[in-house]
Parts: sequence; structure tokens; C-alpha cells
Amino acid sequence: MRNLSSKSNRNRKWIVLFLTPVGVLFVAFFLYPIVFVTILSFMEWNGIEPMSFIGIGNFRYLFADSVFRTSIQNNVIWALSAALLQIPLALVIALILAREPRGWRFFRTVYFLPNVISLVALAMMWTALYNPEFGLINHLLERVGADHMTRNWLGEIETALPALIFSYQIYIGYFMVIILAGTLSIPKSFYEAAMIDGANVFQQEVHITLPAIRGIIITAGTLAVAFALRQFETTFLMTAGGPANRTPVMGLYMYRRMAGLTYGRAAATGVLIIVLGIVVLSALQRVFGKADAVEDARQ
Amino acid sequence: MPVARDALTETPLAIRIVARSAKWVILVLYLVIAITPLLWLTVSAFKTNLEIEIAPFSLPAVWQFRNFANAITISGLHQFFLNSIIVAVVATTLNLLVTSMASFVIAREEFALRELFFTATTAGVLIPIIAFMVPYYTLITHLHLFDRLWALIITYSAINIPISMFLVSSFMKSIPRELEDSAEIDGCSFVQRYWRIILPLARPGLVTAGTFSFIYCWNEFIYALLLTSSRSARTVQLAIRFFTSQFRTDYAGMFAAIVLTMIPTVAVYIFLHDKIISGLTAGAVKG
Amino acid sequence: MRRNLLLGLLVVALLAFSVSTLFAGAQREAAEREIVLTWPSIWVGQDSKADVMEEIVNEFNQQHAGRIRVVVEPQPDYDGYEDTIRTRLAARRPPDIFTFKLSPTTAVYYSGDLLMDFSADLGRDGWGDTFNQGNLNASTMGGATKSLPYEIGFTPIWYNTELFARAGIDRFPQTMDEFWEACEKLKAIGVVPTSQMTGGTNSWTSMLWYTHFLGSYGGPDVWERAWDDRAFEQAAAIIKRLYSDGNTTRDAIGADAGVSSGHYMNERTAMFINGAWFIGRIRDDAPDVYRATELAPAPKAGNYHGHQVGWLHTNLAAAHTDDPARREAVVTFMRHLTSPENAKRVSLAAGSLLAVEFELGPQDQLDPLQAKFIEAGNQAEFLIDHMEASMPVDVVYELGQALGSMVLEDRSPREFVQMLQAAEN
Repeated sequence: MRNLSSKSNRNRKWIVLFLTPVGVLFVAFFLYPIVFVTILSFMEWNGIEPMSFIGIGNFRYLFADSVFRTSIQNNVIWALSAALLQIPLALVIALILAREPRGWRFFRTVYFLPNVISLVALAMMWTALYNPEFGLINHLLERVGADHMTRNWLGEIETALPALIFSYQIYIGYFMVIILAGTLSIPKSFYEAAMIDGANVFQQEVHITLPAIRGIIITAGTLAVAFALRQFETTFLMTAGGPANRTPVMGLYMYRRMAGLTYGRAAATGVLIIVLGIVVLSALQRVFGKADAVEDARQ
Repeated sequence: MPVARDALTETPLAIRIVARSAKWVILVLYLVIAITPLLWLTVSAFKTNLEIEIAPFSLPAVWQFRNFANAITISGLHQFFLNSIIVAVVATTLNLLVTSMASFVIAREEFALRELFFTATTAGVLIPIIAFMVPYYTLITHLHLFDRLWALIITYSAINIPISMFLVSSFMKSIPRELEDSAEIDGCSFVQRYWRIILPLARPGLVTAGTFSFIYCWNEFIYALLLTSSRSARTVQLAIRFFTSQFRTDYAGMFAAIVLTMIPTVAVYIFLHDKIISGLTAGAVKG
Repeated sequence: MRRNLLLGLLVVALLAFSVSTLFAGAQREAAEREIVLTWPSIWVGQDSKADVMEEIVNEFNQQHAGRIRVVVEPQPDYDGYEDTIRTRLAARRPPDIFTFKLSPTTAVYYSGDLLMDFSADLGRDGWGDTFNQGNLNASTMGGATKSLPYEIGFTPIWYNTELFARAGIDRFPQTMDEFWEACEKLKAIGVVPTSQMTGGTNSWTSMLWYTHFLGSYGGPDVWERAWDDRAFEQAAAIIKRLYSDGNTTRDAIGADAGVSSGHYMNERTAMFINGAWFIGRIRDDAPDVYRATELAPAPKAGNYHGHQVGWLHTNLAAAHTDDPARREAVVTFMRHLTSPENAKRVSLAAGSLLAVEFELGPQDQLDPLQAKFIEAGNQAEFLIDHMEASMPVDVVYELGQALGSMVLEDRSPREFVQMLQAAEN
């Protein structure tokens, strides 16, 4: 007993030492700015003159603004698209590649490449693809005689948001890489045993792979949802929130308030992005389970 | 995984054929989606500006090789490469070092506030970092790091903490505990457990987090613009913007510059990620 | 093995890094005796003023070698530039010298003591007299001139005389009836009449069309009027029609400036609006269209005709300083930059119109299209500011959305104006 407690005492020193670097950076680059932004969210500030306290005035303004309410709604749609579209697709592709079909390394590399390309260039390509005058999508539709289906994809109310979200699926490779790396740590012996029992491929995936990488899938899912919630560059570059205020997201709304020198409203938006993130992620955790710290993969 | 393939023989032929073709349809379809941007960007880099604007999906009438020469002469791209490499390599190394230490403790030790520490540091993924322009600028100037590469190194390694913590800790958690227990019995110290046992086994996670961090550092623009000002501390992303101006963007030159700046990231991805991950076998876990 | 390789890489990187920081430190030290002014500038890289600005700064540095040195920090990305300036002002550390667009939003930069007040210096040796007095007055608030007027925006309607001739139109329409008739003739030969756009941060081309018609309905002081003034609605009705019946391209909703100008250069559209800075681009990329281009004021829609859209586009500013020597250095540089001869050089080399007055001699070679710009400016009955110079940033953002709403959801011009008004708060 004595031995054990002295060991944990000795470890405590190391634990503190190992946590300190991240702790320091976290305090400087996350805690301090968050405190700053939170305080600012209760202030009126144009960035030049002194701040003045206005209570919940900024939040009241935001909820009274229909563009902001549309932004929240769009953010939820983006988050759901990440959880229900992006992650399942990434998972399917990762599972296929994990079985190392012919050329899988090539596929894995190419699938990830869109993540390397600058956002500006990607946005330009998509905007050009969707353009109704010279875009490739309408051109192909016309070729197959479906002229009635041609549209101004990013400029029409019904299609703008779906078109944006579709274009974002190009980043699936990011989450595929995470999941694929997760499958590498599953011992092969697990499958050998299953095979002796006569399990087919689908049964193996459902009973062995998925439980083993559940934690990684949830990690990838959390990241995907978080990225979708805070993304605004794709929207900014491709539709700038249009047409007719149909595609704004909270990040874009915040950026615009900064440009309009209403820093208090921008800060309040930032705070609400984080709050919405916590709400959406906890709701998803209820449905899909939690990425627990120690529990998984030791079964 | 030859063992897995054998299992298919147990399945009826029809299902096997459907499954196999579905697999290839998915793989090829997504291959087209994923490779189009790269092809488009590369072909566009050989076009004229007007061609890019009015005929974005045609081949260039004349292949403009001089776009690439312009890309280097106008932006001085080569001068910024070294800065970008230093920032990305040092920031990623620093980030992996600190997050792997913290993740190790979180994944493998029991202590008070463990849950809180993990939640707090990883909740950072929810934050739209652009909200922090004023605080980051203030912080960096107070640290007297403005316009130095260290400003970007520290900022980037901090910004990537949440993602790396998430990835590295979840990979470390999946390492069987028996390995460590036996090591401890063999007399391994705390640091040795971290450096000799957990770190090598968590390599897929480290490599994944490192790849993401490197790409982030390489492509980040707005803080690079805000926290540096002179040529001596600027990165390639700022060089790319030399093709834009208030009223006019030279897309041809910009695309050529983008293609050139992508080469290192693609190389890092292929070599670091592919080689290191491929070098691992699942059997390693068995110890 | 592999770990050694990684460690080796790390060591090499750290070494390279420390060497490079040492080098940067040495550079800084050498410069300590003289006054160094940093100028984050957008007039670099591909900007048409880049070369001539570099010359002017270099000359200044040579003349004042050992005493004053202006260091230009290139920042070609304009959105990023505005983000940076805004943030640095909020952190109370403005750059020594910088530029900004003076608008109702940025006018707040004048409050407090962040910016240097040039009013006393402008009174000395007639410096103030070299500026266009209207622009100088616009840059003076409460007696303080905390930024100097520099570049002027001037945006007449561009039209392609080739296409007009082909459609059987012999002159630019003077009335709205003539204008709509011309549109029909152009459409009959398969040409789209106008370039429009709702994208980007300010719906550039359409914002200028709207401002042109606003001037025709509301006259020179239209921006001082309240939102319920009929002019705002009447001009919106014209824009709505320009977005319907094939009067603009199918991609106009959501299009950015590249798309809008691309259609004009590709002869897909016959009319377009932009400033003199676009001359170089069109001359290089579409020489035929460049030669066919003429400039015109908007047709008469309301009571006014013959006006143009022109505004103060860029102001020069400097950080306030209590050090008299530093202050003197800034003023010396500003006087150099805004001297009539340097203004003339910039204008001739870059096609810019400036708020500094200078005389053109017969030997000065002007681009033909630029000469037309100057002529159009001289002939203008009056000038009105474009929307971006007259309204808060939030209203300018909302313009594209309100246009989209009016066209796609068939909202009335009144509702369009209400959307803009709502964005003002």
C-alpha cells in the first residue's frame, strides 16, 4: 500500500509537469481570448472609442435579427450534414480502404488531396462549376437534354444551400484519414477468430471493426460537426450569405459585424457559436454515445 | 488483409458481385470528385486570365508556361518557402510534443480534474478562431513577437491544440493497458513509459495530427497577415496574394503560385503520412 | 532509425530558424539611428500603382538617407488589409502610415487620438491648396484633417460601340425609353444588355448602376435624404427591371466582379460600369473591346441628367505621435507623396484619378480611354458619391441580399429600400 501511494505521489509531479505546456498555451491562446470575447459580448464597442456596458443588449439585437436566426438554422443544417452525410461517407470509404483493395494507397492519397488545396482556389472552381452561363454542371445537363434542370445553382433560393453543402463534401478525406488510422490498431487476430466462426465481411465490420473504432469514429464525428459549425470561408467565398440572405452562417455573421465595427455584436455571435456547438454536440452524444476517455478499445 | 478476402468465398456469388461493384463504384466516383480540383487547378494555371474567367473548363488555347515563371518573379515565392517550412515544421513539432505529453497523462493516468482538462482543451475546436484577432494581436505584441516567425509558430501550435488533443488522446486510449503494466513491472519510469512505449504505439494518431497541423500551418492566411509585416517573417500564403490587388486579380499567376506552394504539402502528406502509417502493421499492437 | 531521422530534421530546422532570426535582428539594429516609418501598403504586386509607388518611396529614402526611411510592407489582399488595419486600431497600435476608405463606418477612426491631425501642416506653405478642396473638406471633421484625400473613384457607364452599332443603336440612350429600346435591340442580336452582380462584399457593378439612377432621381444631395424619399424606390424599380427579361446575364445573382467584368470583356454584355483602374486589364485581355469602349452618363430617369458617380476612394493616414521629430518625418513623407509632380506621375503611370491637382502638359502621354475618363469628369453636371462612401458597411453588404430578394422573391422596390434601412441599425 505504502509503495502504491508513494508511486502516485511521484506521478503527481510528472502529471503536473506533463500538463503544464498545454496548460500555459491554453490559458494564453484560448482562456484569455474567451474571457475577453465574453466580456466584450456585454459591451458596445466600435474598436476605437471606449467600451460601454449594455447588458444583454447585443444578444437581444441578435435574436431580433432575422438574418441571425437564419444563420443559426443554417449552422444546425451544416452540423447535421457533417454528422449524417460526411461521417457515414468517410466511414464507408475508410472501411473499404482498410481491407486494402487494389490501389488503396493511391486512393487514400488522392482522397485526401482536396484538403491541401487553398480554399480560395477550391471556391473558385465550385463557383465556376455551378455558374449557369459557362458552368460545367449546366453544360452536362444540356448535353443530356435536361435543359429544364439547368439552374443558377448558387443564385437560386432553393439550391444555394444544398449546393454549398454538396461542395463541402470534398473534405471527406480528412475524416477518412482519421478513421483509417484507427483501423490500423485493430489486431488481426480478431478477424482470424471471426473467420473461423464463418462470419462474412459485413458481419466482421459490424461486430469487430465498428465496436473497436467506435471512439475514433466519435472523435472524427465531433471534429466534423465542430468544423461544420464554425466554417464560414466556404460560404463567404461562394455565396457571401446570398441569395436573399438564404445561406448565412454564424461565423460569417460574426465576421461581418467585425467589419461593421460593431465588435460587441461580433463577440456575442462568437459566444453563441460556442454555445450552439456545445448544445449540438451534447445532443449528438446522446444519440451516438460519448467518446469516453479511458473506456474504449480495452474491451 | 488476405484473411478477410477469403471470407468472401463464404458469401453467395450474387451478393459478392453486387458488393464488389458497389465498392468500385464508390471508390471511382469519389476519386473523380477528389481529383477534379487538382486537375482543374493545374490546367487553369496554364491558361490566361480571360480564359479562366469565361471558359473555366476548356483546355488553354496556348499553354502559358510563363505563368509559372511569373509566379516566382512577381511574388518572390522562393523567399517565403523557407519561412513557411520553418513555421510549419517547428509549430507542428512543438504542438505534437506538448499535446502528446498532455494526452499521455489524460489517457493513461487517473487524477482529479482530468475530465475538466480534457473537455476544456478540446472544446477549443468549437471556437471560430477569427473572433480572436484583437486578443491575439495584443498578446503577440506584448510578448514582443510581432513580425517574428515565433509569433506564427506559437500561435499555430496553440491553435492546433484542440484537434491534436482529440486525436492523440483517443489513439493513446486505444492502446491495451497490459502493455504498460508489464513495462511498469519491468521498472520503466514515467518518462520512459511515455517516450518508449506509448509514443511509438500512438504513432498513427501522432502522424495524423501532425499532418493536419502541418497543412493548417501551411495554408493559414489571416493570422500570418496580422502577426507579421516584413518580408523576413512572411509565409507563402501571403506571397500567393501578390496576384490579387484591390481591383484586379491575376488568377493565372495565382493558380500557378498555388500549384507550386502545394508541392511541399502534398510531399509531406505522401511521405510522412503514407510512409509512416504504412510502415506500421496492426500486429505492432500485440507487442 | 526513423526517430533519428526525425530528430535530425528537427535540429536542422531549429538551426536554420535561429540563423534566420539572428539575421533579421541584425537588419533591425543597423536601422536604429534613423527614423523608420513602416507603411503597410496595398499599392504593391499587381496593383497598377505598384511600380510608380516604389519609385517614389525609393526617391524619398535616397533624399533623406540616414534621417528618414519609409519601409513599405506589402499587403496586396484588400480584405485582409482592412481586417489588419481595423484590428491594429482596436489594439491601439496603428501602423505609422496606412490607407483606408473613408465612409460613415470608418469615420469613427477620427475619434480619440489614434490618427495624426494634419490640419496645422496643411495651412503651412500652401500644402492644403494643392488638394481638391471638396475632397479636403470631406476629409476634415470638426476642424481636424486626420487623413489626406488621395485617390478618387470615378465610374461612368462603359459601353461597347461595336455591339451598339451591330444592334443598330447610333448613340448612347439619353432617356429611359431610349434605354429600354436599346436593350431590346441588343437582345435581338443575342447580346445581353448589362453586366450586373450581387456578389462580393459590395455588389460592385450593381451598386454603381443603382447609384447612377439614384443620382438621376435624387440629384446631388440624394444621400442626405431620408430612406422614405421616393428616389431610393424609383432607382430600385429600374434595377429590378435590369435584372429581369434577360436584361442581364443569368448568373448575375451571386456573381462577383470577375464574372461581371468577364462578360463585358467577352462581348457577352454591352454595358458595364467600372473605374479607370480597369483600363490596364481590359487593354491587356480584351484589346478589341478596349478599342470599342466609350463612356457615358446614365440616361435621364428622373429630374437630373449628365451627372457621374465619383467619390473619395482612398485616404492616407498616419499614427498619431507625440515625438515631434517623428511627426515631422511623417509630414515630410506625406508632402512628398502628395506633391503635384508625384501625383501626376502616379496618375499617368497607373491611370488613377487623384485628389491632388496638377497640370497636364501637351507632351504628357495619356491612354486614350483614360483621356475619355478625364473628359467625362470635366463634362459631368455634378458628382455623387457611390453607396459605399455614403452608407455604413452593413447597408452596403445588405444591398446584394436586398437585390436578390427583390428579384427572386418578387419583392417591391419599397421592400427593397426597407431591407437596406433595416440594415442601418
